[in-house]
Amino acid sequence: MGRTATIIAVSYGVIVILSVAFVLTVWLSTRARDAGPDVALLARREKTWFAVSVVILVSILFATIFFTPYGKGAGAGKQVVRVTGFQFGWTIEPQTLKMNVPVEFRLTALDVSHAFAVYNADDELLFQVQVVPERTQKAFYTFKKPGTYEVLCFEFCGLFHDQMRATFEVKPA
Amino acid sequence: MTEAARERARALTLRYLLASTAIFLAAGVLGILLRDSQADLGRLDPNFFYAVMTAHGLGAFVGWAGFACMGLSLWVLTSVGFPLRRFGAAMAELAFWLMLVGVAGILVTTLLLNFAASWVFLYPLPFHSAGQWGDATTGIFSASVLVVGLSIITWCAGIVHTVLGPALHAVRPTLGNRLGLALGLGYLAPRRFATNPTPVPYAVIPLTVIGIDMIVATLPLAVLLVIMIVQSAAPGVTVDPLLAKNMLWFFGHPVVYLLLFPAIAVYYLLIPRYAQRPLVAGNVVAVAWVLAVFVNVIIWAHHIYIDYPSGSPQAAINTAMQPLTFAITIPSALSLYSLFFTVYRSKFEWTAASTALFLGLVGWLLAGFSGVVNATIAFDAVVHNTLWIVGHFHHMALLNIGLVIFGATYAFLPELTGKALYSDRLGKWHIWLTFLAGTGAFSLWLIQGLQGAPRRFAVLPDRYATLTDATIPLVIVLALAQLLFVWNIVQTLRGKGGRYTAPQTEPAGAPAA
Repeated sequence: MGRTATIIAVSYGVIVILSVAFVLTVWLSTRARDAGPDVALLARREKTWFAVSVVILVSILFATIFFTPYGKGAGAGKQVVRVTGFQFGWTIEPQTLKMNVPVEFRLTALDVSHAFAVYNADDELLFQVQVVPERTQKAFYTFKKPGTYEVLCFEFCGLFHDQMRATFEVKPA
Repeated sequence: MTEAARERARALTLRYLLASTAIFLAAGVLGILLRDSQADLGRLDPNFFYAVMTAHGLGAFVGWAGFACMGLSLWVLTSVGFPLRRFGAAMAELAFWLMLVGVAGILVTTLLLNFAASWVFLYPLPFHSAGQWGDATTGIFSASVLVVGLSIITWCAGIVHTVLGPALHAVRPTLGNRLGLALGLGYLAPRRFATNPTPVPYAVIPLTVIGIDMIVATLPLAVLLVIMIVQSAAPGVTVDPLLAKNMLWFFGHPVVYLLLFPAIAVYYLLIPRYAQRPLVAGNVVAVAWVLAVFVNVIIWAHHIYIDYPSGSPQAAINTAMQPLTFAITIPSALSLYSLFFTVYRSKFEWTAASTALFLGLVGWLLAGFSGVVNATIAFDAVVHNTLWIVGHFHHMALLNIGLVIFGATYAFLPELTGKALYSDRLGKWHIWLTFLAGTGAFSLWLIQGLQGAPRRFAVLPDRYATLTDATIPLVIVLALAQLLFVWNIVQTLRGKGGRYTAPQTEPAGAPAA
């Protein structure tokens, strides 16, 4: 599991535990046959919850928006790799890439939409990007380890979608 | 309300519920076939796998959940004093038959004619079948989906006509004023949007929002489908694939709310009933729903965050839609607050129906959080088109919307038939087994997604086999639990639970503060 996936797993795990604790509190509270809470007060506190929700969402927005993969570049000295997706295979030129040298993938599709998803030798998903017919999509990545990398198609493209695989090599520069 | 109007709504709702339940069972069987095949228990031929996947997706999502929620809305409106008038009833009747015809067309083109381009039928895939189906089949499939779209628009027309009717008790009955009232603005500006004698029931507000939004959201999809029908006969007519993706998702996201917003209306009606006190809600909920009516139709691009080809404005559109998508979670956040605190320290009556609704709130809460992950571009770049997404939407569809449908069925069926529920105890077993087995199965999907397992693979890479196999017992329990539901419904309809006598009070709709 990659770093971002781990962040998601831990965050979601924590929020699930907190949610379950909250839900159990509400559930068990219905056993107390007392006069109940001040319903009007709870209704007024909806405004506070509204403000809290907005603050949480804005915080998540600012904590994540700068990691959006758009608008990045590979810089000078990059390697350019041309990728074409088709039912049901990939052409990747060149097939051998240099380690620690930024790669600019230029991707297009011949027939239908595909998606270029790259895994390392540990089966960890490194990145993915959609590949649409009649368009050129760019993706940037710098491979830090040598070895064989696997490509799967991540957009459903028909009969042999699950067999639309390829590999490429990364070697020390 | 006249007895004739109530009878009209009763008959229509019952018909929607029974038809959608039949589709649910068929779509459920298809879902089991898919997961069993992935676990190599009865491996399906690849194209048949994807044809079943297409039928399961559209059948379960629109033919069951959407259709059921459309029907439940009719009874919710009737229950809060908004009966269908002649036009509304005619639209609901037409929507019912259009949905049946559309779903039948989808089932025939997928299961018999091999159409297998998935429920999103991502253009131009329907015209690149790898020899598995012909363009004529694509044309028939497109026409079938178009008929489903017409059903939704027709239903929306009936809903909007109903919510803007005299039941609003608008002091100033201009169209703008009535629209504002139905959106809940009376809670924000009671003088400008005055009613006499009662305020607008909360349950009316989400139905107004979705009634308006689905008309707006469905029209571009209808255009795309018409073009596809034309292309099936005249191959020279084509659409830009990226534009087609945007048109599809312009419908594809709001249609989620065709399920969620009626479900919220059910919650707004029934949770106060079982808690035996009014909904804990103030005036700020109106802000959220007014926000929703606009934002709902301008957040489609979060489904295509990973598309940002050079020379297109897609990256800018996608970036703008992250905060907008976050904004659409506000109605959910406020509604969950209202509903949980309506239950909190109440004299909550724990029946099969109310248990389903309470566990539905839990499902909504947990699936909502996994939805925030999807809404965040940096996170979506990792989970997009993985089994995480499948786990998220099954969690939302079955353990929020589905539980609302089950709960509402247990609550409403006696009102609709005059026959008491056969067994509340059996209902509780059904609900708990569904919740526990569903939570287990969908959690495994979430984990597989974070491990990088792709969705829509007839055969997954071997490295994901362990968790795929682990879901099978859970899927079996999930399926068996639905048999309890069916048995309970059948026995209820046969009158085995005895006669039903309606209670006299209905504590719903009035604000708490």
